[in-house]
Amino acid sequence: MAEANAIQQEAPVATKAWEPRIVAFLCYWCSYTGADAAGTARMKYPPNVDIIRLMCSGRIDPELITTAFAQGADGVMVCGCHIGDCHYISGNHKTMARMPLLKRTLTDLGIEPDRFVHEWVSAAEGEKFARLVREVTEKVRSLGPLRWPQRMKERGVGSGMGRQAWGA
Amino acid sequence: MSERRIGVYICHCGGNISDVVDVKRVAEEVGQLPGVVYSTTQMFVCSDPGQVLIEQKIKELGLNRVIVAACSPTLHQLTFRRTVARAGLNQFLFEHINIREQVSWVSEDKELATQKALRLIRAAVGRVQHLVPLDKRRIAIHPAALVIGGGIAGLVAARDLAQRGMKVTLLEKRPFLGGRMSQLHTLFPTGEDAHAAVNKVIEEVVSHPLVTVFTNAQILSSEGVVGDFRTRVRIEPRGANEHLSYGGNAIAACPEETINEFDFGLSHRKAIYMAYPGCYPPIPAIDWHTCTKCGKCVSAVGGKGIDLGEQPREIMLHSGVIVLATGYDPYEPLYGEYGYGIFPRVITLQQLVRYLDPQGPTGGQLPRNGDAPTRIAFLHCVGARQIEGVNQRQPDGKVKDYCARTCCTAALHTALEIKQQYPDAVIANFYQDIRTYGRGHEAYYERASEAGVLFVRYDPYRPPRVEKNPKGDSAFVVKSRDLLTGGLDIEMPADLVVLATGVVPHDISELIGMYHCAVGYDSFLLEVHPKLRPVELAVSGVFLAGCCQGPMDVTEACAAASAAASKAAALISQGQMEMDPFISKVNEELCTGCQTCLTVCPYDAITRDEARKVAVVSEARCTGCGTCAAACPSNAIQQLGFNDAQVLSEVHALLAGAALA
Repeated sequence: MAEANAIQQEAPVATKAWEPRIVAFLCYWCSYTGADAAGTARMKYPPNVDIIRLMCSGRIDPELITTAFAQGADGVMVCGCHIGDCHYISGNHKTMARMPLLKRTLTDLGIEPDRFVHEWVSAAEGEKFARLVREVTEKVRSLGPLRWPQRMKERGVGSGMGRQAWGA
Repeated sequence: MSERRIGVYICHCGGNISDVVDVKRVAEEVGQLPGVVYSTTQMFVCSDPGQVLIEQKIKELGLNRVIVAACSPTLHQLTFRRTVARAGLNQFLFEHINIREQVSWVSEDKELATQKALRLIRAAVGRVQHLVPLDKRRIAIHPAALVIGGGIAGLVAARDLAQRGMKVTLLEKRPFLGGRMSQLHTLFPTGEDAHAAVNKVIEEVVSHPLVTVFTNAQILSSEGVVGDFRTRVRIEPRGANEHLSYGGNAIAACPEETINEFDFGLSHRKAIYMAYPGCYPPIPAIDWHTCTKCGKCVSAVGGKGIDLGEQPREIMLHSGVIVLATGYDPYEPLYGEYGYGIFPRVITLQQLVRYLDPQGPTGGQLPRNGDAPTRIAFLHCVGARQIEGVNQRQPDGKVKDYCARTCCTAALHTALEIKQQYPDAVIANFYQDIRTYGRGHEAYYERASEAGVLFVRYDPYRPPRVEKNPKGDSAFVVKSRDLLTGGLDIEMPADLVVLATGVVPHDISELIGMYHCAVGYDSFLLEVHPKLRPVELAVSGVFLAGCCQGPMDVTEACAAASAAASKAAALISQGQMEMDPFISKVNEELCTGCQTCLTVCPYDAITRDEARKVAVVSEARCTGCGTCAAACPSNAIQQLGFNDAQVLSEVHALLAGAALA
């Protein structure tokens, strides 16, 4: 983790106009391929969403999402195969169970519901992915910067932020 | 942690990337990141010079992590894994970043796109710090194949496997081979006899010394994984055996009759029966639900060859691969759908085909209305291309919204057959679209038009109606709006209404559970990749042949079966199989044995070692979804290649510089 922190320290803090930073966790088989499909069709969408690829949306541990917010993300997207189309039979059923629960928890922790979006995107739904990125970026832009650690500090919590990763 | 020496290669993709992303600047800035000892741009990293440069720098600079930022990993990840492996570096110390499909092709602002590319590569630099060498898993493959289903797809798969020298066992649930194809009369686009064609393949299969066929076979359970499947099968008693020499006498003597499913209920058969003349095995079978064990068949054949007390037996089959060829069922219209079930002269296309078969219930004759020319209305897309809110929902709560693909050509083929036999017949097709998509299929459409077959295009939102004819000069009137004549309302008197019904998968819910098959929204089995890996299930070692995967005609089912057989044979002939290493691994020191992972695993790949009270992952069974890793409350179970350290570092590095306060 030392290296990651080092990277963080060296990177220049943006001084220009604020741009929303959104992290998208995508499953490889449907949603990542769907995002590729948007590219192949040369659909344009804002460059604010950075994709992290996992094999299945079932791998998306809520910890990944809270870490993203804690590290400065203004929004998080989670996309997986539609129910019934999971490459791993039912990995996305677990996603379906986890995400609404997480959304409530995040709301309780001071994160507006619109900052966390969970949608199914199939390998053929490039257009849906592009539309989703546009919508989410606009919503997050209108909400402004999140600065979750600061927000939590103002509420008097947040000492647990920036927890070290296992095995680091 | 030993010193990281990271090399980053950024691709121009001949302008596809560099026209939008300032790759030179990205390379310069990435070069400043900790651990990065080399960063460069290349016109095409995937080209020979690009790959040579990767190999060269690994050797020259001692690179121990390699990142390529280029197209989508679905295109070239494997290429570059091989490249780094050639230079002696473990292939899983390579990371592929997508800056074409997900950056340059979707972005307009060059500055923002460049920043995005930079962030993604920075995230990869964070991630590769924590990559560890992984080895592909290798699993031994038992040299035998199991084919489930004795229809044309299963038969072709079994034949092809045997012809490649593989030992094959073919299981058929019903007492006779041939499946749905044996219920057809003639085949499009050649018009050849369906029985002759299927019997030819059956002959090739049963005469092959490497094939063992079991009919009346019911799969009880299946254990094991690719390379080592153990399938327990119950062989239901046939009642008659090969010592029976006068099967016809036994059938004639039987007093019990039931509905003949082979003719879709248009005729009756005895309790001891043959599916059709010339079927295989050429031995009658007893339907135990209908048989009263009166013994008349036994006396009729002099007591030899029939055993009414025969017991089921169980066998265990050991195979390295499995081919699923479980086929389809014709869509059964709902009661009252276009009058089906209410009026006996509203029949399905399958029933019509049975009427036209000289071996069928009427010896090849259509039911006629006196001497008058038969008037036949074909209704297309029954149980296919249905629309939510227009068509009635099926018992499973869905509408059959997919195209069944085969019925257009089949209906036109059958209409032409009728025209040949009954030149005076009046035939109209009520259709949404005519989809005669296959080679030679369009000719049926043209020939049908030339032969005077009528076409009425209906609006799928206002499907035709079948009503009793109040005037009584025909059995029915079919009412429809015809879009071809600008929306004229048409009424056609008809003696026979034929529903060109769709295709639904045969119910194999038990097998789906046993083999952990992925199933699509349409309830057909789901392949790994619809284009690149069309006959493989995500479960390793299980292949798909024919209509269990979707509607196919005989040509397509045979092609799919041959493909499945060749994939299965390739696996067997390698003797072992390589699999991605991204499986889950348990840190036994952290595992509390809580079994949460057992409950979320879609593949039953995790068990608990009761002695040590820890979770144990079956390497062969795990497919690497990582769902258990997300569920583990003590972070004890980790997915190789996507462990917490790797993914969290990626998140940290990605968001470096984001405003926290």
